[in-house]
Amino acid sequence: MKTITITSVPGFNEWRAAARVALADNLHPSQLLWRTPGCPQSDLFTGGAEQPIVQSPADSANRFQIKVPPRFISLCEVVLCHSERGRFELCYRLLWRLLHENRDLLGHKTDSDVLKATAMAKAVRRDAYKMSAFLRFRKTEHQEQEYFVAWYEPEHYSLELKLDFFKTRFKNMRWSILTPYRAAHWNTKTLRLEDNPVPLIYPQQDEVEDYWLSYYQNTFNPARLKVKAMQSQMPKKYWHNLPEAELIEGLIRDAEPRARAMLNKTDGGD
Amino acid sequence: MSDKLMAKLAVLSDAAKYDASCASGTAGKRQAKKGGKGIGSLTGGTGICHSFTPDGRCISLLKILMTNYCIYDCHYCINRVSSDVKRARFSVQEVVDLTLNFYKRNYIEGLFLSSGIIQSPDYTMESMMRIAKTLRVEHGFRGYIHLKTIPNAAVELQNEAGLYADRLSINVELPTQAGLTQYAPEKDLRVIDDAMASMKEKIDEHKNSVTHTGKRLPRFSPGGQSTQMIIGADGSNDKTILTSSVNLYDRHKLRRVYYSAFSPIEHASQLLPLKPAPLIREHRLYQADWLLRFYDFKLDEILQGTQNDMLDMQHDPKLAWALRNRHVFPVDLNRADKYLLLRVPGLGARTAQKILAVRRRGQLRWADLAKLRLPLQKIKPFVSVADYRPSSKLLEADQLGARMAQPNQLELFGGVV
Repeated sequence: MKTITITSVPGFNEWRAAARVALADNLHPSQLLWRTPGCPQSDLFTGGAEQPIVQSPADSANRFQIKVPPRFISLCEVVLCHSERGRFELCYRLLWRLLHENRDLLGHKTDSDVLKATAMAKAVRRDAYKMSAFLRFRKTEHQEQEYFVAWYEPEHYSLELKLDFFKTRFKNMRWSILTPYRAAHWNTKTLRLEDNPVPLIYPQQDEVEDYWLSYYQNTFNPARLKVKAMQSQMPKKYWHNLPEAELIEGLIRDAEPRARAMLNKTDGGD
Repeated sequence: MSDKLMAKLAVLSDAAKYDASCASGTAGKRQAKKGGKGIGSLTGGTGICHSFTPDGRCISLLKILMTNYCIYDCHYCINRVSSDVKRARFSVQEVVDLTLNFYKRNYIEGLFLSSGIIQSPDYTMESMMRIAKTLRVEHGFRGYIHLKTIPNAAVELQNEAGLYADRLSINVELPTQAGLTQYAPEKDLRVIDDAMASMKEKIDEHKNSVTHTGKRLPRFSPGGQSTQMIIGADGSNDKTILTSSVNLYDRHKLRRVYYSAFSPIEHASQLLPLKPAPLIREHRLYQADWLLRFYDFKLDEILQGTQNDMLDMQHDPKLAWALRNRHVFPVDLNRADKYLLLRVPGLGARTAQKILAVRRRGQLRWADLAKLRLPLQKIKPFVSVADYRPSSKLLEADQLGARMAQPNQLELFGGVV
């Protein structure tokens, strides 16, 4: 049994390097224990200290040429952003089966490993999409220039999947996006990443936010209350990221009396 | 920003909330130039939904009226001249600033601007066009812009607006001239139709032609055009409404027809029905519209056997069709072609695709359907697989329709599958 510790998040590059080495050594998935730091579990059957594999990707690549379909790599890039601990093991098992069992494994939509990976990728993509939707910037000033800062807590390691989106959309703005595990800082030219940021620079308020809250309230039509439809798209777990979420309860509470009042006015009063 | 602006925003977003279309459509990919002052992008797909209000609708765009003053007297409209609603009017600069400020904070994908008619249709259209132009030219705004154009305005203004907007739309409001004459005396179906026709021509021209030097023409409303019909304000039945939609899709190549259930409005005209149209009717129309556009259904298949030319409210139109055509079922999921798979209640375009992929590798069995997360209860009477076939009792049962009925009050969302 070999133990491999992946120290970075999301960890795709590290996983790929380690997987290449493990494949070169012909290690079956059951012979590997994938760990992340802060993951206390130990394997009862190892009977000894970890055996870290210290080899650079270049070495292993020289020894062993591995060819996999490009869509497997892009699937892993997404799956490995998932917060579930078993992600490294799952991807290695898929890789192993792909090479030893069936080149076309990913085409088996009912295979349980494939189903699991597809479901994880879907969850990550949704989380990343929601980040591009629900992240809110607040404006501040930095060196006498407009500066925008957001604090966002994604469910998975989704920041990396959306960096291009934010860089493209807000290309000529200076901004920082802070998440619990990593921050991205953009100065209109270069992107700088910082691990475990302190959210101190997140502004307490924003001069435009009240306008947004007013818009949110007024664009809502109380005669069409559909709370479930809202929550299927914007589940409560995202609400702490959203300044407008604090309005929701009151809007729901007042919707029925407001709609009734509208009907009465239509009616010519009661 | 100021209290005055805040008050205007409240009035003019409230006044715009009756418009059903909220989404930003697909208008290609686009982004700001580097090192400039530009801002914004289109990702290529449909726009991002940045928030959802408790009415279940998404906020993608800043949807506001430029003004709710109006010289027209359309009875279904809260802003008609005879209504005593509170009025307000944005300046061009105010709309531009609000849009940019919201966009920079990642609240929105862009702007959806409509307006009451002030002074004249031309004057109104010109101001709206100027807002779009300022955003694009002065600020390099690359986000989404949807302008609701004014049908009676000069065609030159519409033509200029199309250079800055991603989508243009004109509301037909009611599907018949009789309805318009009664409820919107200043509106003329022929004028609206002409405006849509000229818009379609312009969109095609810019998409397909090149100048004499071989350069492509600038983008003109790359997201196409759309429209909206109000449901349940006049007496039009679903057949009239859907016939009108089919006609609009065919002739003017509309991207979307939006259906908006007539909603009670404050200060309403005495001419209007007192009750709101049931939201379920609007929902059924969207489902029927979807079947027409993406599922190869013909209008008479959808209307076949309906009472008084109204869609069945208890079943979605695809299920209703299946219940009327039970001789087609059960459909063998291991053999049926895509056309037939899409006729099965509970199977959508994506699931049909998955079924085709899986069965290339072997026979589909009942357990596979569960793994593919198909809605087993719904499809059970209508499909067969290697190890399952519904009993003829199940499929032929008189109670099948009642058992699969959806309660009228159910909160509904999502498309037909």
